[in-house]
Amino acid sequence: MIKIEHLRKEYPNATPLKDVNAVIGNGDVITVIGSSGTGKSTLLRCLNLLETPTSGRIWLDETEITDPKCDISMIRRKMGMVFQSFNLFGHQTVIENIMLPQMDLLGKTKQEAYDEGMRLLRVVGLSEKALNYPDEISGGQKQRVAIARTLAMSPDVILLDEPTSALDSTMVGEVQAVIRQLAGSGKTMMITTHEMAFARAISNRVFYMNEGIIYEEGTPEQIFDHPQRENTRRFIRRLKVLELLIEKKDHDFPGMSGEIDRYCAKNQIPAKLSSRIHLALEEAIRQQILPGLESPRIRAVVEYAEAEETAAVTVSWNGPERDITRTGDELSLSLLKGIVSEMQYTRTGTDDLPNILSFEIR
Amino acid sequence: MRKRRLIALACVLAVLCAAVALSLADAVSGGPILSKEQLNQAGMKIGVSTGSASMLIAEKELPNAEIVYYNDTASAYEAVAQGKLDAYVYDRRQMELAISSGRSGVRLLDENMDEGVPIAVGISPVTEIPDFTERLNAFIRELKNDGTLDGMFQRWAVDQNEQMPDIPSTADPQIHLTVATSGVVPPFSYYKGADLNGYDIELAYRFAAWLGADVTFKVYDYTGIVPAAVSGDVDCIMANLNITDERRESLSFSDVLYTEHVGIMVADTAAAASGSFWDNLRESFTKTFIREGRWQLFLQGVLNTLIITVLSVLCGTLLGFGVFMLCRNGNPVSNAVTRFVTWLVQGMPMVVLLMILYYIVFGNVSISGILVAVIGFTLTFASSVYSLLKLGVGTVDRGQYEAAYALGYPNRRTFFRVILPQALPHILPAWKGEIVNLIKATAIVGYIAVQDLTKMGDIVRSRTFEAFFPLIAITVIYFVLEELIGLLISRISISFNPKRRSPESILKGVKTDD
Repeated sequence: MIKIEHLRKEYPNATPLKDVNAVIGNGDVITVIGSSGTGKSTLLRCLNLLETPTSGRIWLDETEITDPKCDISMIRRKMGMVFQSFNLFGHQTVIENIMLPQMDLLGKTKQEAYDEGMRLLRVVGLSEKALNYPDEISGGQKQRVAIARTLAMSPDVILLDEPTSALDSTMVGEVQAVIRQLAGSGKTMMITTHEMAFARAISNRVFYMNEGIIYEEGTPEQIFDHPQRENTRRFIRRLKVLELLIEKKDHDFPGMSGEIDRYCAKNQIPAKLSSRIHLALEEAIRQQILPGLESPRIRAVVEYAEAEETAAVTVSWNGPERDITRTGDELSLSLLKGIVSEMQYTRTGTDDLPNILSFEIR
Repeated sequence: MRKRRLIALACVLAVLCAAVALSLADAVSGGPILSKEQLNQAGMKIGVSTGSASMLIAEKELPNAEIVYYNDTASAYEAVAQGKLDAYVYDRRQMELAISSGRSGVRLLDENMDEGVPIAVGISPVTEIPDFTERLNAFIRELKNDGTLDGMFQRWAVDQNEQMPDIPSTADPQIHLTVATSGVVPPFSYYKGADLNGYDIELAYRFAAWLGADVTFKVYDYTGIVPAAVSGDVDCIMANLNITDERRESLSFSDVLYTEHVGIMVADTAAAASGSFWDNLRESFTKTFIREGRWQLFLQGVLNTLIITVLSVLCGTLLGFGVFMLCRNGNPVSNAVTRFVTWLVQGMPMVVLLMILYYIVFGNVSISGILVAVIGFTLTFASSVYSLLKLGVGTVDRGQYEAAYALGYPNRRTFFRVILPQALPHILPAWKGEIVNLIKATAIVGYIAVQDLTKMGDIVRSRTFEAFFPLIAITVIYFVLEELIGLLISRISISFNPKRRSPESILKGVKTDD
């Protein structure tokens, strides 16, 4: 139902889309993944012409929407969009946000718009908030209202541009639940996200974007478990593997903590395990390894195994041989031993980071 | 950081202190002034009336003194009484009249500045009445010969009889005579109640009757009265006008009507304050508002001020909004034009803009001063509204546009349904401030012959010779007007704020019991 041919988008200082070609069928639920800045959002925004493509053509059914004569407002009514920043109309209550577009654009009566609005609010579980203003509800609730508002226009296609990225981790679930429900209803959807487990759960096709093109596409199993091309493999591995480098005494540890959080969120690591990963890395690196080094170079690798719900950690560092499983700070060591298992120190003669500590967290 | 701020503060304080010290030192020097010779000294401050013969004489004869220029005589009298001026040189008859009417704290020297200043009718070089000068002079000769002119002078200036004689008006006028006058120089041109009265007014009626014309008066400041005749706004000036060489360069004059003298007013240190504060206040109030029904002048002034303000606000808001809509989508031509006009209008002193509109742009068109004022203030108000809209609409998040577009709202409806309602609550308070500013700014329309509240205050001051009371009175009236308009706007602001609606009004007409 959507056909994209040689789509290209240039900005004065960047070209996020070089040559995108794709066919999207009825009922497809497509997840677009890729690193930041690889044009995932640009692709979505080009589809409803919030961004004007530099060249290339896009068809929705039989209509070429990149044709300058095309009535883009009509096309956009068939193509709903959910934004990362919700963009509810701040001057209107929740129910009005859903009613107004129906009355203004679909010519429904106030009563019809209200009935449909309340029905959708019940679907997303927010009928009690109908008369609240957007700034009176939480981010997750706002996003659910935004989804209801999009649905009220009964679009043929729904584009979701990182719908949970601006949300507190406690609210991601409620929005994902609504989207999951939506995906099961047979609507054609295209969604950009960083949550891979979520992507795997809802979509039937995955586009991996890199270098301004759809670099590899396939079913979730193909992309996540058996990626064919080199860059895809590296990207998927980076998703599953967290690598941390510490090269200064006064390293940005709060920033590192954030990285760990993001990694855990991406892989939907349970909260208990996530806090243990935090604690183990903190104790091992900051309390044990770092104090003994003049000019530290430390590399930590975390790999999460979804099936077993365990995380394997390897920390390697420079300097003289030092088996911290025996010589480390007592209190810290006992803390570490309390949360990890199979802790093991090895020394290799050849590596430039010859000290290696490995353990597993459950 | 804090240190630097302290230094800056100290600098500001020092400058303020210096300014206060200087203004104190500004007070005039020495003992009582007894003769004209004493005036011609360094450090003497001599007030003159801008553009008058007294100004030229003082500049010529008192080269050592510092000349200070006044546009209205009531302020100058007050300055002399307070010692801000050593002396004020001006039409002797006017000053005598002021003192005899109760202006205290000042007196006149016996000596005059000069041998006499000729007074005549100033004639517009571009009047459309044919043979105007010849006919006017023939008329004046006739009046001189039959003694009418002397009789007029005797009645108005000497006997101070304020009764305007009955002069028949022309039944079917073929000529329209427009006369510029000042309205602030008794007994020649002044307001008695709400009507113009005096020697010059009688002269104008008589001349109109003699010509077979009807007559329209336009009231100007002395700074604007000659430009009005030069631009052809009026046919002639009858306003106790001195013949000066400079005025001769741009105007021609009729034969001399009479001769006046330039007197010297100095402070009268012997004068003692009389009466209690409340008695004085009551007296001032009576003089300013009650006597001769002068409240009608204030009423007319308030009305004119309101007309100008309200029309300018309405037109300015519409214009500003229209321009904003044209510029909104970044059309380069309309943006360039708007930037230029905004730059021009906002950079120019308002009074200059009004004068240019009145005397140059509309110089050859018969157009009322009120209309010109409305046009001028509409331009400035529109540029303010344009800037406010730009600012207010700029506060609305880009995402609001995108959400509306993505739902299928076309550009224009996006603006009216989604963007503007969110911008308005930000804009309205500033808009209210602009309106209050506008009311105050209209105080300068006296320059283009509009009798607004401030000008009416000047007119009353020229009759009561009081510097303060009318000023305070009009200030109070301005405050009341601003307050009333402020209340009105606040009402509107509330009704424009979508978040102030009640839940019932949001779902009006919808059955919700499901």
